[in-house]
Amino acid sequence: MAGVLIGLAAALAGCQREERQLRLDPPVADALDKIALMPNRIGGAPPEVYFKLGKPYEANAYNLSQGKRLYTWFGCKSCHGDGQGGSGPAFLDGWWYYGPELVSIFASIRDGRPHGMPMFGDKMTTDQIWQLAGYVQTIGSYEGQTAAPSRNDEKQARPAENRAPAKLLFDEGPSPVHLDQGPTP
Amino acid sequence: MNRPATAPDTHDTDIARTRLTSALAKTWKTPPGFWGALTTVDHKIIGRRYIFTAFVFLALGGVLAALMRLQLAQPEARLIGPDRYNQIFTMHGANMMFLFAVPVMEAVAVYLVPLMVGTRNIAFPRLNAFSYWIYLAGGALLWTAFALDMGPDVGWFAYVPLSGPQYGAGKRADIWAQMITFTELSALAIAVELVVTIFKQRAPGMTLDRIPVFVWAMLVTSFLVIMAMPAVMIASTGLILDRLVGTHFYNPAEGGDVLLWQHLFWFFGHPEVYIIFLPAAGMVSTMIEPFARRPAFGYLGLVMALIATGILAFGLWVHHMFVAGLPRLGDSFFTASSMAIAVPAGIQMFCWLATLWDGRPVFKTPLLFIMGFIVTFVIGGLTGVMVASVPFDTQVHDTYFVVAHFHYVLIGGAVFPLLGAVHYWFPKLTGRMMSETLGRWSFWLIIVGFNATFFPMHILGLEGMPRRIYTYQPDLPWHGLNVFVSLSSIVLTIGFLLFFINVFRSARFGEVAPDNPWDAPTLEWATTSPPPSYNFPRIPVVGSLHPLWDDRDTLPVADGLRTDRRELIVTTLASAGPQAREASPRNSIWPLLAAVATTIMLIWSIFSPWAVVWGSIPIAVALIGWFWPKGTPEDES
Repeated sequence: MAGVLIGLAAALAGCQREERQLRLDPPVADALDKIALMPNRIGGAPPEVYFKLGKPYEANAYNLSQGKRLYTWFGCKSCHGDGQGGSGPAFLDGWWYYGPELVSIFASIRDGRPHGMPMFGDKMTTDQIWQLAGYVQTIGSYEGQTAAPSRNDEKQARPAENRAPAKLLFDEGPSPVHLDQGPTP
Repeated sequence: MNRPATAPDTHDTDIARTRLTSALAKTWKTPPGFWGALTTVDHKIIGRRYIFTAFVFLALGGVLAALMRLQLAQPEARLIGPDRYNQIFTMHGANMMFLFAVPVMEAVAVYLVPLMVGTRNIAFPRLNAFSYWIYLAGGALLWTAFALDMGPDVGWFAYVPLSGPQYGAGKRADIWAQMITFTELSALAIAVELVVTIFKQRAPGMTLDRIPVFVWAMLVTSFLVIMAMPAVMIASTGLILDRLVGTHFYNPAEGGDVLLWQHLFWFFGHPEVYIIFLPAAGMVSTMIEPFARRPAFGYLGLVMALIATGILAFGLWVHHMFVAGLPRLGDSFFTASSMAIAVPAGIQMFCWLATLWDGRPVFKTPLLFIMGFIVTFVIGGLTGVMVASVPFDTQVHDTYFVVAHFHYVLIGGAVFPLLGAVHYWFPKLTGRMMSETLGRWSFWLIIVGFNATFFPMHILGLEGMPRRIYTYQPDLPWHGLNVFVSLSSIVLTIGFLLFFINVFRSARFGEVAPDNPWDAPTLEWATTSPPPSYNFPRIPVVGSLHPLWDDRDTLPVADGLRTDRRELIVTTLASAGPQAREASPRNSIWPLLAAVATTIMLIWSIFSPWAVVWGSIPIAVALIGWFWPKGTPEDES
């Protein structure tokens, strides 16, 4: 009985996070591509259908873990490392040039950004870009999330995403933090 | 008996039978109502609950099987999607193995063993109550998760890396792993109770060679549980740690080992098969006596075969891993040991055949199920010897051939005897007989439906149909047989439906049963049907293996037990000489509270490792309440 009650409580919070949409309907995928960006291409609004679907790319365990796989498959590591950065900017230092909004991340991946970020819009499906964007957002999250993916079966450069929020991993590195950055994490 | 001269006489030595039974009933009763149901420690009430719950899980698992057959009846079917199908076959396997097969065998033992050895309650009765609540919570966890699209989808043995942190997204694999913890905890609790009950609470005179074979089987099974279950608890705990905390037990890049999972799992998983089969073999040896009208042939051989199976069971787990890439010597050794286990199984088989041959068989429903068991289990055993050979196994591994094999040994080897046992012991559980007509109908439908459903799967497997596929293409040669299998499964389902109808009908309207309707020789038939809360008004004294067949009118009894408090006789291990009068615990709510606290901790720990720290505080409180000293002397004698 207690099991049922606790199970219900946990599940009410969790039923969305466990759903698996293996293949989007083509019209839905089309609509998901139509984000509204601000003129400076930072920030904006996701399409209506994104809310209709129940924001499926932020707290859904399957999508996040697919995003993590795509992060490896599409070579994100070669510039961003495991989030510490490299030739590309870090995700852990609390300073994101284009902000932490999911739409901005989506736009960065789909269209690319100046100074080196290539565009992936012609290499990935809309669904995959959203999954990857959702995962990248969790790397920089200041709070551990239960829906975040766990470690990979490989050498560990950092604790698993579901263990360590970015503020624990924050490392100022050799160069000082960005001048405009307000308080560090 | 030396007792204080001044105290009023509360012993059962000289009092009249009516006064004795009313005094005992007052001491041992479970109060009626909700509170009584929550606090009871009566092994019969808990055993009945356990059996009922396990059969509910059997029915639920059967529904899942029917869904899978519906989906596979035609190629490219759209009834169930791949994700849901993964959950369904995982749930079917995990549910049937962990929530039905193992618990139901232990549940029957919880009910029967104390009666068969002639004592008043199982050892550690509060642990028994705790075990049931934990089992119920584990089952509820699994099924609630499944209802919410959160059910495990990694197969019932959840191999890493598929179930590991990288590929097992979400909490699905954690639900599976924690359900394991629940069921293993409850199984371990019962195993300990049964070992102590069988070793120390046998009726005076029940020496080792006078123990009924079913009780022997449960003793061996309990030792198997005690030695096998820790392996899987370690494995599943390691899996949860890998997934939640980021440890590296199964991560080869950091010094872990993927094969470690398979070794740990099958070191448990193969003995698990015998944990399911040995009780069933014990049931057959015990049930065959009243229906063959003679003692079972080769008592010593039967018992030795049980023990030999129990020992060999730990030496053949690697035959589940023949395609995992192991050294050649390992392959050869485990092929040999897998074939060797056919020897004790064969010894039992020939003993049963000899019993029937020399006896005058009475073909009532339980014996029909025994006959069905003998035929089906031999077929499953033969395919077992086939897949024990590495070259053959390499061909059929992960095909429907294996599916057919293990359904033959598990349904044929365990479920058929169990259904026979339900018909046989139903009067002792409910006080009513099951319908013979319905029993025969359900037997024939089940045996025909079963063979028509599962035999063609051998051929499907040889034709290359893999396990666990949610659909197949129309140009593959599997369609015809799959339709036939799905249609046959309807017959099997109707057979089981009839069985359930028979159970419910008989429980309400069945013919009222006498104490010993089958003229059986073992002690549980010496008391009323169903037994009173204290089992026996006076503890029987046993002079042979078949106490009720020696002298059909009288049964010698022991006296000197107190009637105003719960007391039972503790006897010596080998010769069962009376040793002491031991108090038996009273009803208590603490086992339920402890189970609730444990449940909270275990489920919470799927989401946060801190649950183990904070969640253990309520458990500690509950255990302190449970073991709070009573202030009464443990034993006056």
